[in-house]
Amino acid sequence: MNRKIFLTQSGRWVLLGGLAYLTGHIFFKRKVSASGKYVWQIDPFKCSQCGRCATQCVRDLSAVKCVHAYSLCGYCDLCGGYFKPNTLSLNTGAENQLCPTGALTRKFVEEPFFEYTIDEELCNGCGKCVKGCTSFGNGSLHLQIRHDLCQNCNECSIARLCPSDAITRVPIETAYQIKGDFINPALIKPKG
Amino acid sequence: MNRKVIISILILLALGIIFLVVLDIRKNRTDARPDNPYALGLEEFATVDSALVKYREVLDLELNETEKRGIAFGMEKIWLIGDDYLQVISTEGEQLMKRELPGSPTCITIYQSDIYIGFTNLIRVYDYEGNQKSSWASAGDSAIFTSLAVRDSFLYAADAGKRRVLKYRTDGTLLAAFDGKREPDALHGFIIPSPYFDLAIAPDGELWVVNPGNLALENYTPEGRLRGYWNKTGADINGFSGCCGPAQIAILPDGSFVTAEKGLVRIKVHRASGELESVVAPPQLFANGTHAPDLAVGSRGEIYALDFDRKMIRIFERKKP
Repeated sequence: MNRKIFLTQSGRWVLLGGLAYLTGHIFFKRKVSASGKYVWQIDPFKCSQCGRCATQCVRDLSAVKCVHAYSLCGYCDLCGGYFKPNTLSLNTGAENQLCPTGALTRKFVEEPFFEYTIDEELCNGCGKCVKGCTSFGNGSLHLQIRHDLCQNCNECSIARLCPSDAITRVPIETAYQIKGDFINPALIKPKG
Repeated sequence: MNRKVIISILILLALGIIFLVVLDIRKNRTDARPDNPYALGLEEFATVDSALVKYREVLDLELNETEKRGIAFGMEKIWLIGDDYLQVISTEGEQLMKRELPGSPTCITIYQSDIYIGFTNLIRVYDYEGNQKSSWASAGDSAIFTSLAVRDSFLYAADAGKRRVLKYRTDGTLLAAFDGKREPDALHGFIIPSPYFDLAIAPDGELWVVNPGNLALENYTPEGRLRGYWNKTGADINGFSGCCGPAQIAILPDGSFVTAEKGLVRIKVHRASGELESVVAPPQLFANGTHAPDLAVGSRGEIYALDFDRKMIRIFERKKP
């Protein structure tokens, strides 16, 4: 086989391989956008709450925000996402709060239940409350990329450094992966 | 332009690109990144003084990949419930029996030679060979049984769905229900923020119910009147961490409580009065964010922990002094 034939055949095989990969990706990955548009999003079940979302986003105040799945929340007085671990008194004093920007607020509902809400203008996406909620509570607080703020960079600078590969491109039709609606893919059992 | 100059420029350009790539890779290495000011460190709570750990893991029994729901110990055997089956395993890990169940079980307990299994909102009784003896009436659509305990001719069932404890005769007759309210006009009795609501009967016959929202263990009379309680709040090793706990309990032959917590998973032994006696399994033995293991206690005081995430039974025995 001379060099020209070798290069021609190699090129064909590379092209064929690429086409096979693309076809397989389209048919088996299923995460295909009907409109062909994709956005960056965090898989809340992969997120390890490392805090990098606050520091790595190209936006001045990160496009990552904490969101709350109210259906999963226990509405507890002692909230692991709101209070620092081992807080002595359960009041709204700044010294007791875990959130560095005071973005997580709580409202009394009825004894002994409290509702927790996030002020997104203050939230910097650090995920401290998420880690507290996941470690000590039901995991109802979690991080999501807000698409009205996200610049949808070609390469997300947070995804580049995410230690748990939790940030991927998802079809724009399923732009948010809110816990409660979004089920951990690892727990989905095949039928039959 | 001289060919040599062009080649030199291209080589320099290539070297420059390689330098930038190497610099970028080195800068982004995990150990080269600056400390993150927003990271929440929980290592201090995961680290336990080794002097407190008075148990050692003596055996792990690996289970198959199907979902496990609960564990009990009786007749010197380990009884497991899974997706839709009852399984009996010897303490060495040999499967002795496996029977299909008519539905998904949620909890199990054994008394003498009878096996009581909760199925969301009803209870079925089986003999030691796995044959169904009786099926009790449903406790209602919103009932969710999470724990059962039997003593003499009475069975107590923890119903997380309706936040109450039901008292049955062992023939299936419903005798009473109590919701843990200290006064009749109190807003809440049992507070159950997550799907964990456990109860157990001590060797002296006392009924203990976990009130997870209060991080408390409450002692009730057979009529459902609160007799006493103790609670321990705190992320450090002496308390129960988080919003609710303990998630699972079992009682040792000397009346001490074995407790398992969720989130920051750890298994501990508390004296009947509530003080921490020892640590069975520190958080380092469990993966982060895993489920609280279900617990059972053997006749010699050995502790069986059903690790839902690793799909194994982990057996702990007290270290010899």
